[in-house]
Amino acid sequence: MTQRLWAALAEVQDPEMPVNLVDLGVIYGIAEHGGIVDVDLTFTAMGCPASDFILEDVRERLLREPGVREVRINVVWNPPWTAARLTPEGRDALEAWGLAV
Amino acid sequence: MPSAAEFAQTIKSGELIESPSEMTPEYLRELKHTLIVSGDTELISAPAYYLAAKRAPSINAFMTGIAIIQDELAHAHIAYHILEELGEDQEKLIFSRDPKSFRYPYAFDVPLESWTELVVANGMYDQAGFCLLGDIHDKCSYGPWKRGLNKVMAEENFHLRNGRTWMKRISQAGGAAKDELQRAVDWMFPLSVEWFGLPDTMKMHSTQLEYRLKGLTNDQLRQWWLSTVVPYCEEIGIKVPAHKGTNDGQDLWELDYPFPCEFDAQAKRWDFSKPITWDDVLARWRERGPRNAEMVAMFQEEFHKFRKTHKNGA
Repeated sequence: MTQRLWAALAEVQDPEMPVNLVDLGVIYGIAEHGGIVDVDLTFTAMGCPASDFILEDVRERLLREPGVREVRINVVWNPPWTAARLTPEGRDALEAWGLAV
Repeated sequence: MPSAAEFAQTIKSGELIESPSEMTPEYLRELKHTLIVSGDTELISAPAYYLAAKRAPSINAFMTGIAIIQDELAHAHIAYHILEELGEDQEKLIFSRDPKSFRYPYAFDVPLESWTELVVANGMYDQAGFCLLGDIHDKCSYGPWKRGLNKVMAEENFHLRNGRTWMKRISQAGGAAKDELQRAVDWMFPLSVEWFGLPDTMKMHSTQLEYRLKGLTNDQLRQWWLSTVVPYCEEIGIKVPAHKGTNDGQDLWELDYPFPCEFDAQAKRWDFSKPITWDDVLARWRERGPRNAEMVAMFQEEFHKFRKTHKNGA
């Protein structure tokens, strides 16, 4: 099930950049117990102007997965996000868009 | 410099123009004019949005509003920077022009006075910007501008998202919140429709199209805008004075009011019972609206004050 949830979040695009949240490296952990999903996630910056949208998108996408009845999101700042957390695919996507990473 | 015939051939072939040495003086003039409109529009949207973003209902909403303003300033910078490469003085363009000579859409001169009005601007004005810039990004014959717009399009998408998400949220809240949203749409919708300018029937010749500075006519751009905004408003339960009709089997978006018609900028109210002429509209645009001088002064005054106090310094 958790694997399926990771795949679901890999379909959620960052609202500002053409990269999905998993490749961006902002999803730190997903756990599921009896239909309740706990997500640890961070933002690329503390002043992230898209944070509301990201929380909304994550919740909305996970609730569309069969068997998910509740989503609890825990925003974490440690370890802090850096470009080192990008997957190779995420790095390629951002470089193609013109961002130096 | 190419001859007029050589240049026309280059444009026709679809090749990109990369530097002033490849242009005719007429093309350079038209390109500069188009860039000034684009730069002025992005620049003035910053004070227009800022005066409303101050009323954000949460810290996060305020951050989003401020991030959008930062994007707009960056987009203005792209246009003015290209103008500088084409021989214009950026500083003069921004800080020494008379407020009335700025070339941005009239809509920004009408004050945005609440968070609700700001998000409708994100949903409607930024959609207009998205159509206009999307077309330039797609078709523009001037390479440096076309490439400069790559990131702009992604950022405009973010602004639209802010507009649409909040419009939906406010509509769902119902009651007085929804009434306020409907009132904002009532005056901002027709202003956005007007944004695209003269109808094609009155504009027989477009140098911008001839030079491939843009690819779509005013009416085509207006139709594109209507085809995104009207269905969205209907979906979230907000009324707009337009509907989908057909013409030769093609979708054609039709307005339910005389276009153009009378607008009272102070009261922010349209009078659909009073059709006017395009000469009247152009006269209103030339006069500029209530907030023109205040917004231009917002960035010009401090620049000149700073210059004055530092003239003997470093």
